[in-house]
Amino acid sequence: MEKLYFKFTTTQPVTKFVHVGVVASGDLEIILRPNNHSYSTLNIITGSDGFKSTWSNVLSRFFDRYPLQGDFEINDFGATPGVVNLRLSQVMEVLKNEQ
Amino acid sequence: MNNSLLELNARERAVALLDKDTAQELIGPFDNIISPHLIPQNIVPESDDGVIIMKGQLKHLNCVIISIEGSFQGGGIGEVGGAKIVSALEHTLLDNKNGEKVYPLIIFDTGGVRLQEANYGLLSISEIQNMIIELKQYVPVIGLIPGRVGSFGGMSITTALMSYIITTDKARIGLNGPEVIEQEAGAREFDSSDKNLIWNTLGAKQRKATGIVDEVIDDDVDAFRSTIAKTILEKKDSNRDQQVNFYLSLIETLDPAHMLTTQEYTNLYRHVSVHDHHLNSAIPSDYPTITSRGRHWFEQLTQIKNAHSDIPTVLHALVNGYEYISIVPDKNNNFPRVRHGEVGLKEGYTVANVINDLIDRDKDKKTKTPIVIIVDVPSQAYGYNEELVGIHMSLAASVSAYARARQAGHKIISFIPGDAVSGGFLAHGLQSNRLIALNDSSITIQAMSKESAARITNRSLQELEQATKNTPAMAYDIKNYQKLGSLFYLISNVKSYDSSDYAINIVKNAINSAISDLENKPTDLSFRYNNKIAKESGRVATNKIRLLMDKQWN
Repeated sequence: MEKLYFKFTTTQPVTKFVHVGVVASGDLEIILRPNNHSYSTLNIITGSDGFKSTWSNVLSRFFDRYPLQGDFEINDFGATPGVVNLRLSQVMEVLKNEQ
Repeated sequence: MNNSLLELNARERAVALLDKDTAQELIGPFDNIISPHLIPQNIVPESDDGVIIMKGQLKHLNCVIISIEGSFQGGGIGEVGGAKIVSALEHTLLDNKNGEKVYPLIIFDTGGVRLQEANYGLLSISEIQNMIIELKQYVPVIGLIPGRVGSFGGMSITTALMSYIITTDKARIGLNGPEVIEQEAGAREFDSSDKNLIWNTLGAKQRKATGIVDEVIDDDVDAFRSTIAKTILEKKDSNRDQQVNFYLSLIETLDPAHMLTTQEYTNLYRHVSVHDHHLNSAIPSDYPTITSRGRHWFEQLTQIKNAHSDIPTVLHALVNGYEYISIVPDKNNNFPRVRHGEVGLKEGYTVANVINDLIDRDKDKKTKTPIVIIVDVPSQAYGYNEELVGIHMSLAASVSAYARARQAGHKIISFIPGDAVSGGFLAHGLQSNRLIALNDSSITIQAMSKESAARITNRSLQELEQATKNTPAMAYDIKNYQKLGSLFYLISNVKSYDSSDYAINIVKNAINSAISDLENKPTDLSFRYNNKIAKESGRVATNKIRLLMDKQWN
């Protein structure tokens, strides 16, 4: 298990709380809370050690395209980058539906 | 399937069953409550701890759905998830007592106790069971088993306590998972790689044919909704925990040396001639038998020498106003899996029989006979025939008897001079309102043997021992167990086999003071999380959840 922390400068504050996913084998959950900063924070607990740079790549690419601003918590039980992206898009989906 | 319940996750299952836009989650992912015990053991937590509590309406009936997430840590029950369930059921009970109907539903998808929080899991499950038994007097408590994990371990006992059980044909129910039986009793007893064997014995079809579940329906959300509403409106209750005479009669006709085929058992089940059972008190004899800590203390406290009982594994006697009861080894027992003092098919039902008789006898009395449970149970019986017949129901029968006795006003003390392990402890010990133990290093308190726990959690024995050494949640010894706050008293200067008058007096005094402490106290299990040790360190998360539930319920 490893704890990771990331911070990204972002510009689109979210106004809703969002939760997606399950901490099942090969999957993860994302909890998103609105914040008042000009950046997003990500507190990640992952069951797979040693993937900090992979996380950094996946997240940079995501926030470059979608600069969502909020506090993210991620509990990861061995999700692949593909699954991480899928869950992040699901967050987008939920935000869009509730607007 | 288009409208499958099985394929949804726990949260989606709860929402799908409720009327559109009525679902409201309590203590959800945004409340920032995770298990405090997983991260220290390097395990990733989940924001709901694998238990979803959802209030809402089902066909306009007020319901609370408790949905267990089978894909998070195998649906294992730990402290936080357990406390969420208990506090939700408590509020449900209170509402119903106040005349406001709320119908509780539990969606089981669980392996039982979460082994990484084993002691919390056992405590929580006994507290959940206590609530269900009380709630059933007001409303049907309905269990759903859609399938994937199914319902195993201590939670299979909980399943057997439900008023009514609805499943799909993908559900499995059993006390001991096949891997654990194989680990404890060998592959000849149960081959855990034989999937057909597992499905044929533990699968919903066989369980329906032999009275273990009530209805097997299509995996379809609408089918579930209709069946649930019907069950509620018709107030269905199978009283599965009160079929003691039926099962004792059945078990007498069973040859334990022969591994029954499912067909043979189904036939046996259909042709039971039921007769009443009553177990006489143990009497003194001239024949010493193998000793155990449970037998030793039964004989010391009752002064019945070489106690003999018609059921050799269950000793009971009413002495000086207290009913003492102990489960003991019997080296020549025809059920090989109970020879070391394990709780088997006959033991659970016999204990239930004894306690049910006592409840009956004291029914109209103002002062109920106190019960002293002498706890020395190395585990439940691990065997193939046991699972086929449904040993979880036998344990549920004794859980139910003890809980109903306590709720009726019998003061129940568990005195622990020996092992208190797993389903055996749930059935014979954990429904008491005060626990007393000897401070003896020979005592093991846990949910599973170290060997099996290591296998199931994919750790080496060494890793497991490292993890358990200083974690009370995982302790195997009584001193660490005390740190949870669940003991009323730890007797420090008496050992498991002491027999001096001095030692006996200390134990008797401890039992007496526990009984007097119960005067005008609640008949529930709240002592375990309301005392000083529990509040300050042992059950901090439990108490936090309880407060939060109080705030969010209405």
